[in-house]
Amino acid sequence: MDPRVNDIVVRCMCDMGERYGLDLGGGPMRETLLFGESGLLDSVGLVSLIVAVEQEIENDLGVSIVLADERAMSQKHSPFRSIGALADYAASLVSAEQ
Amino acid sequence: MHTDFLLEVFRANPDKPAVVWRDKPYSYQWLLETTAAAEAALVAQGVPRGAVVSIEADFSPTSVAMLLALIERSCVAVPLTDTVREKKKEFREIGEIETIVTIDANDQWHFEHTGVQAKHAHFATLRERNHPGLILYSSGSTGASKAALHDLSFLLDKFKVQRQSKCTLTFLLFDHIGGINTLLYTLSNAGCVVTVEDRSAESVCRAIDRHKVEILPTSPTFLNLLLLSEAYKRHDLSSLELVTYGTEVMPESTLKRFCALFPNIRTQQTYGLSEVGILRSKSKSSDSLWVKVGGEDYQTRIADGMLEIKAKSAMLGYLNAPSPFTADGWFITGDAVEVDGEYIRILGRKSELINVGGAKVFPAEVENVLQQMDGVEDVAVTGERNAITGHMIKARVKLTTSETLPEFRKRMNEFCKDRLERFKIPQKVELVEESMHGSRFKKMRREGPAA
Repeated sequence: MDPRVNDIVVRCMCDMGERYGLDLGGGPMRETLLFGESGLLDSVGLVSLIVAVEQEIENDLGVSIVLADERAMSQKHSPFRSIGALADYAASLVSAEQ
Repeated sequence: MHTDFLLEVFRANPDKPAVVWRDKPYSYQWLLETTAAAEAALVAQGVPRGAVVSIEADFSPTSVAMLLALIERSCVAVPLTDTVREKKKEFREIGEIETIVTIDANDQWHFEHTGVQAKHAHFATLRERNHPGLILYSSGSTGASKAALHDLSFLLDKFKVQRQSKCTLTFLLFDHIGGINTLLYTLSNAGCVVTVEDRSAESVCRAIDRHKVEILPTSPTFLNLLLLSEAYKRHDLSSLELVTYGTEVMPESTLKRFCALFPNIRTQQTYGLSEVGILRSKSKSSDSLWVKVGGEDYQTRIADGMLEIKAKSAMLGYLNAPSPFTADGWFITGDAVEVDGEYIRILGRKSELINVGGAKVFPAEVENVLQQMDGVEDVAVTGERNAITGHMIKARVKLTTSETLPEFRKRMNEFCKDRLERFKIPQKVELVEESMHGSRFKKMRREGPAA
């Protein structure tokens, strides 16, 4: 997995934490829950995070991906449940595009 | 016959300037003579009464005379300006144009017969009444263009009441209901029509200064550009008494800034549509977006949060679309409004409403806030499909700063935090280089080449 994708997701989540005053404990970690039970974000917050990640991936890595689509919504385990899950899912789309 | 009331005004004011074109005034006497010459030319060219004739021109002394001649001869006039050049062929076909009159750069007319015979049932209605007609095309900024056919004798009726004679700049175009309304209002009161060749802030301010223009009917987008360009600092606008604005939602921030800068200029919101004409309107105050619309020829009502209008002089119908009127004759405007007693506030087109996870957002509300940020020159907000919330808010922003996207997004989020509910803050931002208005100075929210 491309480690830069993980860095981007963490960076974007730091911004979200600042923006919404979220309690990220010691900072965003792979285990940090995003959406769903005990998740830190509501649907609008999740959309903001996802779009920020998409745009920064395009900006930094030159790869255009769509994280929120039917495919993501129909995964057995939601790719949006945690930072780790989102980073892994984004990285898999990036490597498929490269 | 149809233009008698206008010609009477012209005869009473022979020496007054009727039209200023390329900085040169043309008198009412000149307009009288040229209108008669245009009528003679129509006869000589074999254009029968009741013919459907496009008049392809911008505002000029001769285009005004030709329009009046067409009205007098009970023709259907179809003004088309160069801003619709890509659609001209389509518009001529929809309009069943029988004769094309082009007014060239030297203000000379040229005739071309198309060989088409206009057979639409609405034309037959007009011919039976021996009334002139007018076709106006919707701009297509919210979908396919529709051709609205009016019985012009009804539209003319409201100009038979004498009002104030003013010097007015024809900012709105020759093929727009607002432009035609400005022209007829000004001529029927022996005012002066000041034309401009381009509608940049610089040219408009120069013309106001030079010709002591008193009324400027324009659009919110233009007022925003005027403020940004600071063209008003280079020209004397003290002759200006009234600025009217319509055609799109006015951002509150733009109106407030304009009123603060020009405390002596009255501003008034107008409300009109190609299909029903221009309603009389009264703003609650100069810097208020609340407005009373109606007048003697119009009734209004609100149904399902949308404004509906019943007009004495509504169009006969579309040439290329089913009737948009309810069974009892009301026109559904598609404009969502808020109501406070007699006043309404226009929120935006219902069709532009964005549904973010069940919450409703009007683009204008978000644009109004973003436009207040330093360094934001222009902004257009739309909805974009999103698998999680159905739609999300997307803002395309033109900046005067050299910020990167992440830098701007951060500043925007900070700025909007206390000004917009969270779901209204754009989730997606795109930085663009080009302007987001068309040649009609109206915001183009759809992406693609501006019309």
